[in-house]
Amino acid sequence: MKPQSRTVGWAFSLLVATVLAATAPTTAFAQAKEVITFAAVTFSEAGRGDRLKAWIDKFNKSQNAIEVQPVALPFASFAKTIFTQMGGGAGPDLVRFDQIDFYAAVAANRVLQLDEIINDRDYKFTAPDRYMKVGGKRYGTPFEISNYVLLYNPTLVKDRKAPANFDEFLATAKAASGNGVYGFAYRATMAEAPGFWQDLCNFVYGFGGRWSDEQGNLTLNSPKVIEGVIAYKKMYDAGVTPKGTDAATYRRMFWEGKLAMEIDNGGVAGIFNQQAPDLPLAAAPSPFPTRAQGLVLAPFTVNANTKHKTAAFTFYKWVLQPENQKQLQDLLGASNVATVVQRSPEDLAKRPWLKVYDEQTPNSIPQLVQGQELKTPEILQIVLEHVLKVLQGGADPKTTMDDAQKQAQARVARK
Amino acid sequence: MTPDQAATRDIALAKQPARTARLEGSRWTPYLFVAPVLYLLVFQGYPLLQELVLSFTSTSLLSPAEHTFVGGQNYADLVGTTDFHHVLLITAIYTVACVVLSIGLGLVAALLLNAPFAGRGVARAMVTIPWAAPPVAVALIFTWMLNAQYGIFNRALRALGFAAGAENWLDNPSLALPAILITTIWQIFPFASVVILAALQGVSQEQREAAVIDGADRLSVFRAVVWPTIQPSVMLLALFITIWSLRRFDLIWLMTQGGPIGATNTLVIELYRRAFVYRDLGQAAAVGMVGLSIAILVTMVYFRLTLRAERTKGQR
Amino acid sequence: MTRAGTWQHGLRIAAILGLLGAAAFPLYWMFVTSMTPSSELFAPSARLFPKPSEIGVYRDAFHGTSVTTWVINSAIVAVGTTLLSIALAIFPAYALSRFRFRGMGLVGFGLFITQMLPEAMLVVPLYAIFGDLALLNTLTGLILANSAFTVPVITWILKGAIDGVPIDIEEAARIDGCSRFDIVIGVVLPLVAPTLAAAAVIAFFHGWNEYIFAQTLISDQGLRTASVGLAGFVGELSTPVHTVMAIGLMYTLPAVIFYLFVQRYVVAGMTAGSVKG
Repeated sequence: MKPQSRTVGWAFSLLVATVLAATAPTTAFAQAKEVITFAAVTFSEAGRGDRLKAWIDKFNKSQNAIEVQPVALPFASFAKTIFTQMGGGAGPDLVRFDQIDFYAAVAANRVLQLDEIINDRDYKFTAPDRYMKVGGKRYGTPFEISNYVLLYNPTLVKDRKAPANFDEFLATAKAASGNGVYGFAYRATMAEAPGFWQDLCNFVYGFGGRWSDEQGNLTLNSPKVIEGVIAYKKMYDAGVTPKGTDAATYRRMFWEGKLAMEIDNGGVAGIFNQQAPDLPLAAAPSPFPTRAQGLVLAPFTVNANTKHKTAAFTFYKWVLQPENQKQLQDLLGASNVATVVQRSPEDLAKRPWLKVYDEQTPNSIPQLVQGQELKTPEILQIVLEHVLKVLQGGADPKTTMDDAQKQAQARVARK
Repeated sequence: MTPDQAATRDIALAKQPARTARLEGSRWTPYLFVAPVLYLLVFQGYPLLQELVLSFTSTSLLSPAEHTFVGGQNYADLVGTTDFHHVLLITAIYTVACVVLSIGLGLVAALLLNAPFAGRGVARAMVTIPWAAPPVAVALIFTWMLNAQYGIFNRALRALGFAAGAENWLDNPSLALPAILITTIWQIFPFASVVILAALQGVSQEQREAAVIDGADRLSVFRAVVWPTIQPSVMLLALFITIWSLRRFDLIWLMTQGGPIGATNTLVIELYRRAFVYRDLGQAAAVGMVGLSIAILVTMVYFRLTLRAERTKGQR
Repeated sequence: MTRAGTWQHGLRIAAILGLLGAAAFPLYWMFVTSMTPSSELFAPSARLFPKPSEIGVYRDAFHGTSVTTWVINSAIVAVGTTLLSIALAIFPAYALSRFRFRGMGLVGFGLFITQMLPEAMLVVPLYAIFGDLALLNTLTGLILANSAFTVPVITWILKGAIDGVPIDIEEAARIDGCSRFDIVIGVVLPLVAPTLAAAAVIAFFHGWNEYIFAQTLISDQGLRTASVGLAGFVGELSTPVHTVMAIGLMYTLPAVIFYLFVQRYVVAGMTAGSVKG
């Protein structure tokens, strides 16, 4: 009995030790290059992700001191993961944020100030670059700028013609629906709260509404915002949308020819074009009373916790070089980058929708509550829940948005 | 008292069967033996203490080391908002429904699978499959099955001519919680059935036969013979399912993120949103402490009830 | 058999079949969805059986994603969690069963409390601790974090089973000159083997399924687990539904198969824990 029990005991300890050893990090192997990490949602996207990795490989091959390692994180958990890591004194060296998260990171001093390495006179920055400065100081440059326009499948739309105003929009969507095809798709679920907010911004901005005035006072119940909400509701009730279907699925439906129209950003158009070159794809300005639409603005930042500051700056400057900017813009689809890059005439001829996206630029507005950037996640939650009450419960838009305004004001006033 | 009840009582009271005093050893041996538990102090005790401190501060997710003490402000904010009352209500409904439905279904399954029939072994194995499925995968397939247009639930309902076939389950404030419950129950009822099935092995066959000979019908047999034997196991099961339901996260977050309009917003979802979306660790910690207090309260009530049940039995 | 008896028998069979159908259907549907071409997923009527020619989706999943790495990582975490939590739970379980000591109630209550803590609450403080201990970005770290949640419940289950081991057996071994350590490992442990299997299953599933820690504490792509990999597809741009379902199934099946192998012991183990008492 005794020797046997010893053996069992030893075997057990050995097993535990082996597993623990086997799972230890493999940082031991020789690293000739200084490795820096770069986290971006884009890496986990089909098509674009691989192209972006190839673009970074060009940098890695161009020199033997630094190696940039892409970190792919999915959209849904991106900011949560990065913020936890940054708060814990770690995180990737370089981060492509969404604008809403950028301001939080700046306010908490989690990204480096870049005025020392970026001289504005050296670059011809695009207009949205102004959002990269907080309190007059630069904390990033735009990695990707993307506008929103109406994307449609001409073969599914009456007379192959895009609607010019909201009434036509509804009529076109209705006419296109049926036989397993839906006229339009957007998000209206809390499970996709960030996307729901983006889509709602397009409707509200398009009807002339803004979430706040120039002083940062909330205007959630202003008449124009309410008009946008009512339009959102009209679309919801028209029976033309695949309700509850998530964006991943309805975008897929678009390229299967089961969806006639959607309002989406240039990155998505790029993915459609790259993944399904034969898909009939056309673009037109969003059919709202004004041209104003949302804007995807993804700042490229350096983590303040980085232990490889010099290496990170080297890569940062490489990204801003004209040739690399050009390649970046091309691989991102119908998006723009930090500096002004002209598209080639052949490109514009081959992909006429690029021009529609580019022309939208002067009318693009960040999807934020301006003046309340840090509180936007909370205000957004309140707005979406109230809009859902209008969509689902048929609550009166005016009183519901009054209520949202009151709740959001209380939330903003706290602290 | 059956041996089974004795075991449950021991677990419940952390008490010692008297027979063991005979094993001698150093005064310190017991402490040496429980020493591995110290590991829990590092990975659970210490973080918990930090959360307690955080709940009295204003702290950002982006700078967790920088606190501003705000006293009981976080708790006062919770008590004062109707939103939070709604969260408590949803949590209560979700938890009670999980306990009642999963144990109810688990009991039925266990009784069905306890009687001998050809292929019983295979059936027992198959019924417990959902328990082995990872919640992330479960959330994925149920979200797809519940899709308004292409989901099999709605396709089936429409084929059968039900109006509900047009409904958007996860997107509808009155259907989202039932949909989440269906998913949860599917996932956890097998665990309940395994535990109850195990407890059923302790039911005395003689007593059961005696009752049948006495002319008792099925229900009376169940009440007189079966239930008293499995009752302690079922109670313990209820406690565990309560605690686990209070902290279930993956399934709900991936399916609805607590929406729509807070219809599935349980305490843990609220905690997660405050910590990781609003970046407010202080508020999140306060929500967590409220949840923990509720769980401790439920556990204490449970121990009280078990104790009283034991006493009444003792007097009989 | 009487007419009523036959009727009841039929009802019973129907109930059992219904139960089995409900239990197995979602996994079957996952399989069917993975083997349905993307265009047919959005067709007016559903395909009820897999289309064999679509088997290529699994090859695409293998080559196009890191699903193999994810599943291997999940397996390492699950096995590690199982071994570590059992190793850490055995002795406290024995102590709670066999000894009477000051502070015992506190230990017991403390173990219960840990069952109530949501991972979402502890993840931020844990991140800082892991940073200090250089455990971030290691599977070892995940194993340690997960075991903290499984040790308590396993301790309880094992204690219940050890309660059922007659003390006389231990005394016999003691007369033979075995140390207490030897007795626990060599005598008690084999006697509670079925319960050990039940405990192992609980720990394994916890490690296999865990999501929040794996998402936050790991940033290296090569160390990502399957739960995080799969959750990454939720709301993700342009990954076809059938591919996601294929990956979901590749993540689910190993756990189900493992369970089918050990499930006999699980019922036996639970029975031992509660009945022998």
